[in-house]
Amino acid sequence: MKKEAKPQENNKMPLLIIGGVLVAAAIIGYLYYNSSRTPGGNANRAANASNVNSNRSPSATAPLGANPPNMIGSPTAAVTIEEFADFQCAACASVHPILKEIQSIYGSRIRFIFRNFPLGIPQHDKAYEAAVAVEAAGLQDRNKFWDMQNQLFVNQQAWTNSPNYRNLWEGYAQQIGLDVERFRNDMAGRATKERVDADLARGRGLGLDSTPTVLVNGKNIPFQAMTAANLRQVIDSEIQNSLKAPAANSSNEANTSRNAAAPANAQ
Amino acid sequence: MIDEAGASEVTGPPKYLSIAAAVTALVGFGDSIYLTIHHLTAEPVPCSVITGCETVLTSSFAEIGGIPIAAFGAAAYFAAFSLAVLAFYGNRLMWFLFGVLACVMAAVTAWLLYLQAFVIGAFCQFCLLSAATSIILFIASLLGRFWNRNG
Repeated sequence: MKKEAKPQENNKMPLLIIGGVLVAAAIIGYLYYNSSRTPGGNANRAANASNVNSNRSPSATAPLGANPPNMIGSPTAAVTIEEFADFQCAACASVHPILKEIQSIYGSRIRFIFRNFPLGIPQHDKAYEAAVAVEAAGLQDRNKFWDMQNQLFVNQQAWTNSPNYRNLWEGYAQQIGLDVERFRNDMAGRATKERVDADLARGRGLGLDSTPTVLVNGKNIPFQAMTAANLRQVIDSEIQNSLKAPAANSSNEANTSRNAAAPANAQ
Repeated sequence: MIDEAGASEVTGPPKYLSIAAAVTALVGFGDSIYLTIHHLTAEPVPCSVITGCETVLTSSFAEIGGIPIAAFGAAAYFAAFSLAVLAFYGNRLMWFLFGVLACVMAAVTAWLLYLQAFVIGAFCQFCLLSAATSIILFIASLLGRFWNRNG
């Protein structure tokens, strides 16, 4: 009898160890999850993010973002591309030339909207301020927004690693023909921050938690698919769909007639 | 023909190898759980050794179908740990399965390292720790195979 008992104990031991580790991991994980969760509801953000990342259309209840948005192309285009980016995000800088290429290829056939989405993480300590700087440029001239946006992405490495990054930004402002004094004042003002906060609220409302996020007619494009060729394919297919289903685009028609009255709004 | 009861009686890998594999898998398991929790809570991870954690962990590669990739890692490490523990108690079949899993994990690790180096252009220290643990598991499985051939 004794001889049989020992192998049985031996058989149970690995299961006890495995089960013990699983229970310990579940308890420690649960406690750590609760202690890491911010009262502001970051967990909800992450949960919502999975909705967006699974290519579902973003919720219509999300805040609208900065108004007017930083937009290029035609406001009545059948295809809307909405980019959420952080100026200290390396991946955003790598996608930037691709999106510029898309803008130049499609022109008024698309509506391209740039949303500031500075990630609130210690490593991106200048991202929010950079978004404010770009908005400050946009306050002087809407076209200067895009010039400054380009400067910050192209020179990302230089200013990110510089303690005198504000001087560098003022240099870029001068380079693109901004009134530097006004640029400095606008950066300190409330209007620019309110625009950034509005874009941030929209991103959060959509459940985003990563950058770059590119939505084509509300569909989230995975980062690995953010190539010029892939984006062209998606945009072309959206254009084709809009041509095939004119009835579904009755709201676009309404926009078109509104645009006929105010064509200058295209920029 | 070997029946299952018989298989579990056959000597598995050397004890020290299965213990090392179990401990390594446990480290990877803890690391993956840590990353999963940070992903779910959207809290940034401390990035003291190298820069670029946030770039990697907030990239589109950080999840598959809305599930954090670290959660898949946690499941794989837990499976590897369980198999190593069962192998320690002499179940040779489990050591074979451990070897298969370690190969799959090494292949996934190679892909993730490629993404970090050439696509994202940034590294994350916790992802590199996970890469190190899965490579160690792979080496352990190779050593186990060598042992079985020569043992």
